[in-house]
Amino acid sequence: MNSPHHKRILIFLLTSVGLIVLPHSVNIPPALFGFFSLMLGWRFACVWRPQYLPTVRVLFFLTMLALVLLLSQHRHLLGRDAGTNLFILALGLKLLEIKAERDIYLVTYLAFIVAASLFLYEQSLFMAAYILAVCCVLFATLVAINSLQIHTRAALKTATVIVMQAIPLTVIIFILFPRVEAPRWMLFEEKNKAKIGLSDSMEPGSISDLGTSEELVFRVKFTGDIPPPKLRYWRGPVLSYTDGKRWTQVRFKAPVANPSYAGTAYSYTLLMETQEKDWVFGLDLPAQFSNPLVQNGYYQLINLENPHKRAEYQITSYSQYNTGNLTRSEYQTSIQLPREPSDKIKQLVTQLHGFDSKPDALIQQILNHFRQEDFHYTLTPPLMEDNPIDSFLFSTKRGFCSHYASAFVYLMRVAHIPARVVTGYQGGQFNRVGNFLEIRQANAHAWAEVWLENQGWVRVDPTAAIAPERIEQQLNLDQLELGGDIRFDAGDAKQLNWLKQTRQLWENADYQWQRWVVNYDSNNQSDFLSQFGIHDFKTMMQWLMTLVGLMTVILSGFLLYQKKKATDPVLRLYQQFCQKLQAAGLTRTDREGAVDFAHRATTALPEHAEIIEEITTAFIQLRYGRVTTREDFGKFAKLVAGFKLNNRKP
Amino acid sequence: MQKYTQQLLDSANHIILGKEHKIRLAVCCLLARGHLLIEDIPGVGKTTLAHTLAKLLGLHYQRIQFTSDILPADILGSSVFDGKSHEFTFHPGPVFNQMVLADEINRATPKAQSALLEAMEEYQVTIEGKTYPLPTPFFVIATQNPSHQIGTFPLPESQLDRFLMRIELGYPDPKAERALLTGQSRQSLIASLPVQLPPDKLQEMQQLVTQVHTSDALLDYCQAIINFTRESAEYHCGLSPRAGLALLSAAKAWAFLDQRDAVIPEDIQAVLPAVAGHRLRAGHTNSDAIVAPILDKVPAL
Repeated sequence: MNSPHHKRILIFLLTSVGLIVLPHSVNIPPALFGFFSLMLGWRFACVWRPQYLPTVRVLFFLTMLALVLLLSQHRHLLGRDAGTNLFILALGLKLLEIKAERDIYLVTYLAFIVAASLFLYEQSLFMAAYILAVCCVLFATLVAINSLQIHTRAALKTATVIVMQAIPLTVIIFILFPRVEAPRWMLFEEKNKAKIGLSDSMEPGSISDLGTSEELVFRVKFTGDIPPPKLRYWRGPVLSYTDGKRWTQVRFKAPVANPSYAGTAYSYTLLMETQEKDWVFGLDLPAQFSNPLVQNGYYQLINLENPHKRAEYQITSYSQYNTGNLTRSEYQTSIQLPREPSDKIKQLVTQLHGFDSKPDALIQQILNHFRQEDFHYTLTPPLMEDNPIDSFLFSTKRGFCSHYASAFVYLMRVAHIPARVVTGYQGGQFNRVGNFLEIRQANAHAWAEVWLENQGWVRVDPTAAIAPERIEQQLNLDQLELGGDIRFDAGDAKQLNWLKQTRQLWENADYQWQRWVVNYDSNNQSDFLSQFGIHDFKTMMQWLMTLVGLMTVILSGFLLYQKKKATDPVLRLYQQFCQKLQAAGLTRTDREGAVDFAHRATTALPEHAEIIEEITTAFIQLRYGRVTTREDFGKFAKLVAGFKLNNRKP
Repeated sequence: MQKYTQQLLDSANHIILGKEHKIRLAVCCLLARGHLLIEDIPGVGKTTLAHTLAKLLGLHYQRIQFTSDILPADILGSSVFDGKSHEFTFHPGPVFNQMVLADEINRATPKAQSALLEAMEEYQVTIEGKTYPLPTPFFVIATQNPSHQIGTFPLPESQLDRFLMRIELGYPDPKAERALLTGQSRQSLIASLPVQLPPDKLQEMQQLVTQVHTSDALLDYCQAIINFTRESAEYHCGLSPRAGLALLSAAKAWAFLDQRDAVIPEDIQAVLPAVAGHRLRAGHTNSDAIVAPILDKVPAL
């Protein structure tokens, strides 16, 4: 195992193993990753200094150590994390035990398993491409083992060709093989990873720094019209109860009254990313929706069946709606206040004619108040621990959407007008390439709803009054993170346009990947296949067998009958020449040499005799002659390129 | 230089009518320093061909008629006691000539056959511990009756391998036959032949033949042919490395005759039946049919 050839194979193998385990570094405990890196580094050193390879006793000790490490981290050997870690540790240990060729094969197969296990953690397009690339390196290792004198680059090329050749078959099997749902314990062990996002309560006073995250929440593809930015309110939990600081949900049963809808109907497909909650953010207000969605009393869409999965939903929403009358209990919860409001607030409401004018007039009054007084929109408001509403309205006057929405609702309730806070997302970035909207955590928003006579619940967004750009345009997060002033990106800044386009292209590719590949579950599969008339399992299996069989026959036929492509550029050019003659019905048989063929060709096409002779002589000289120069080749190439049959002979 | 070969071929074609290709092969064989085996029924001109070539090349020529009772000494020579000097002196046999025609070689016993064949390979003769070199150039043209004729000892494969080429002459076509029947006696024609290619020129040419260029592409083709004979089910035993060398040198000579300084696949195809036929299937006479599968299945380019 010490020949230079084996050395190269080992370097190949160790590199690919390292590349495969590298992405796992974020998934597995540092202690285990460190252990693996140690094993890998050790083995790497031993490529040049085989005398430092561990003895059987040391190896046994290392194995015990690995087991102890593993058990100390997981306390069991089952489940996604423990299982993957077991494989990685075994791989690391096996590296130190490569004695024969058999072991190299074993390590390669183990590495394939570890590569596959990466998909248990991440299913992005990027990861898929990465794993595919690393698999090419692994295949190259196998190629190098099996063909003794192959160069690194040649091995990689062969491996890449092998992987590429496998793709058609992979696609067929991917589309037609029965999809099996992974058991949930395998996929969702991410217990310690708290995600930023909407929660079921809101406490604006306790936040002094609103984190903005570019993390994707969901994507929406409209089948028809796309709503204008100011209508893009994605409805989440509705917060009706407040204790003065916190706003929380109140559980309701069925919708109180079926709203009546009017205006434009927006139909869309919503691809929800994985989430902890069971919320689905429909465009305000969702009217029709596919299973397994249900609508709660606050018109919020909920998936009760399998909410944590990445899934697609078909929803239709209307921008104009009338939710009808309020029930008594609804009215009660909608004007609920924790205690008697302070005098200052009462005074403000009186001043705004809260008690002696119509509700819609009061709405305008309050919004005008926000607009005219010294209120500012900021993502880094001061803390307001006690009496947040009072502090916000009268002293700090700085806050983000939650502050404005909660203060607005509070003021309405003081005037005995039913109002509530609605949280969700607002806006979304439009991807021109794929024609879809991307809604990220940074789009999280809170607004208010007021119940008006004859109109039902009406959306009022006080943030729009103070910072209309927040609604109309995109928050420029990059600027924000630099600590600068909040600036709003008009959506098509001229600078860095190509960068943006590339980003949109990539995001579109990722969206399509998520939709068509990652999200291709048994439901999607049957939907997709029924378009082709495949409705049941049996037909599907028959198609699978037929296509795989057909593919095998085609490929083996190709292998059996393919003409070897000439590696010699001279011969390749000559074959072009022969192809041109083929048009005139002159096919060179395998046994015919150039001279014999030229003889036949000149007899058949006397008008071309001269050029055929010239090409043949040049070819003979280049292929069989003693001295050949680049000029000769260039001349020959020109001759072949210039050779034309004039078929239009009278 | 080419002038000589052309004159040689023209003169030979004048004597043996309608056999241009065979004569060219025979000359090619000589240029490649190989021995020639002519296999055919009696009377089609085997001896005449050998005689003509010897005459045109100006070589010392001797014919040995092989019979079933011929002994090695009849071929190689023997030591005879000289009464005057009271010692044995070596009397060289007919093999000590530049060109030897071994007529009907398969009528002799294997012992006599092998005496000649050893001389062909070694270019020397060893008798009673003393080695006598053979003259240069040294050619053997052997003729052979088809082995199905009565009273023949077919040459084994190992000895057939010593001959660079085996050719069949075959019957002349009607036109050539008519010219033969109406023409002068061949004997007198041969007697009057001038020397077209003197031995020193011949040796010079043989040297030039070895320098004919063989490119990698051509060697690929040559090896493909050899491998095909080894792997194909058509032949139970493929071409030996010696056969490969023979094929290449014959092809070089053919290219030389065609006035080229590099071998092309057509050269190999031209000499392949003569070079490979008797090596692949000893018993059969139709060499073209024997090598047809090779030519059909091994791509020329």
